[in-house]
Amino acid sequence: MTTQVSQPASPIAGPIERAINARKDKKLTTGTLGLIGLVVVLGAWQIAASAGWVDASFASSPVGAVRALVHMIGTGELWPPLLSTLESVACGMIITVVVGIPLGLLIGRSNTLYGLTEPLVSIMYSVPFVVFLPIIIFWFGIGAEARLVIVVWSAIFPLLINVIAGARNVDRHYLQVATVFCAPRLLTLRSVTFPATLPFVLAGVRQAVGRALVGAIVAELFMGNAGLGYVVQTETSGFKMDDAMAAIVVIAVLAIVLTRSVAWIERRFTFWSSSV
Amino acid sequence: MAPPRPKLRVRDVEIGHRSGRKGTYALAVDGLSFDVAPNEFIAVVGPSGCGKTTFLTAVAGLIPISGGTLELDDHRIDGPGRDRSLVFQQASLFPWRNVVQNIEFGLKAHGRLDAAGRARVAELVELVGLGGKGDKYPRELSGGMSQRVNLARALATDPELILLDEPFAALDAQTREVMQEELTRIWQADGVKAGKTAMFITHDVPEAVFLADRVLVLSRGPAHLVADIHVDLPRPRTPAMKRTPEFLAMSDRIVDLVMAQSQIGKQAQPGRRVTSDDHAGVAAG
Repeated sequence: MTTQVSQPASPIAGPIERAINARKDKKLTTGTLGLIGLVVVLGAWQIAASAGWVDASFASSPVGAVRALVHMIGTGELWPPLLSTLESVACGMIITVVVGIPLGLLIGRSNTLYGLTEPLVSIMYSVPFVVFLPIIIFWFGIGAEARLVIVVWSAIFPLLINVIAGARNVDRHYLQVATVFCAPRLLTLRSVTFPATLPFVLAGVRQAVGRALVGAIVAELFMGNAGLGYVVQTETSGFKMDDAMAAIVVIAVLAIVLTRSVAWIERRFTFWSSSV
Repeated sequence: MAPPRPKLRVRDVEIGHRSGRKGTYALAVDGLSFDVAPNEFIAVVGPSGCGKTTFLTAVAGLIPISGGTLELDDHRIDGPGRDRSLVFQQASLFPWRNVVQNIEFGLKAHGRLDAAGRARVAELVELVGLGGKGDKYPRELSGGMSQRVNLARALATDPELILLDEPFAALDAQTREVMQEELTRIWQADGVKAGKTAMFITHDVPEAVFLADRVLVLSRGPAHLVADIHVDLPRPRTPAMKRTPEFLAMSDRIVDLVMAQSQIGKQAQPGRRVTSDDHAGVAAG
């Protein structure tokens, strides 16, 4: 009798259940397909290396890279460069957020400032920041400050662009509601302008984190003495391709973890927004 | 005819604004005069673009008047005030606040969100028919439900005068009918002061007749008063009343008055400027 009562997955499911199931299936297929793609490429690489079609000491191999990674974790060699890179990204992001968000709000809320800075910001956003690398080295040397400058340089423009867009796009109607109900300035700022801008700010932070990691790695590749980028650089020079590949795997995982966590924060705080 | 002490006094009001790229000065409202008695529900109709929304915006205190006097309870209106609230044409709910928090906004802005305020909000949620939906967010609401929240938000501060700017214009015909009935019901039920003084802007004449104690017909812009019609249909009003001969006769008469204004409008409206800003667009008409 009870089995008859509790039958949520009946074959005559309503349209809503069917839609949910279809969506689940679709999600599953994309995930599975992605996995298959990854396995095929890694498999081909491994076979090519094992069969001697390519020189494994040149091309490394998935198994070799994993072995090197396990070794690096075992000996603890992995942690100092990982922490060093994380530190660069963290310091860079703190500066980027502390400077970028207020600056973006200021520029976005003032038509004059916006007019003055808009072309500059767009140019700086569009030009690949690496072209400034030699100049930054010339100005700041190759020390820790120079690396920080590169991280901030690469991260701040996507954040600025987003925050400015957010501050400029606060819906007129929202502000009108605040005016009609005689909301004090501070309440308007805190309860209207800030939440209205938040989705843009968080989207900017998500992009900035990705760019900050790129900046940190590039800085380490060219002028570092520590960090994952430096590991890739030195291990490649030392002809230890497995170790270089292992460091790249760590960078990839780091990139995914960082952007996914910001995306999670975004969903957590701007769940009400239909545009995100 | 004039009651001893009007709630809202409108005398020779003139509203002008600069429009277009050349900044030519144009009048939206010219020499508009009427009184609104306490607890009266008046509807303002007129051809589209005649300046009725501009006038409402001025009563809300969002734009200044360039001539005449505009007084609420003998106090000159010279900016937004706590004694008025506005039901917006677009619901303009804050998407980051749920139904209850949206309704609370006015009280919060006034610094009056205490236990009594919260109780009033809870009461309004029920009154506008959103019981059990207090924690929904605007994106989960239909157009009709959003306008119920919009209305409750305006009622929450218990204003002296409530202004409604075509609140049902964007709704589909059926929802609109339902909302008209709901508005009359809420009007008669909101206990604080039975029947708050209200000014309702619409271009839908039967809607105006159904809701209002008095219907004001404005001329084509610049707007002035063309007719002031007392609606002597009994309350409470029911949808069935819309099919009575009295109702139909009154609607027809007012429709004719509005149409007469629109006809003139068609002949003399060659250079109408419309800006990208829709509010200025309305005002420019």
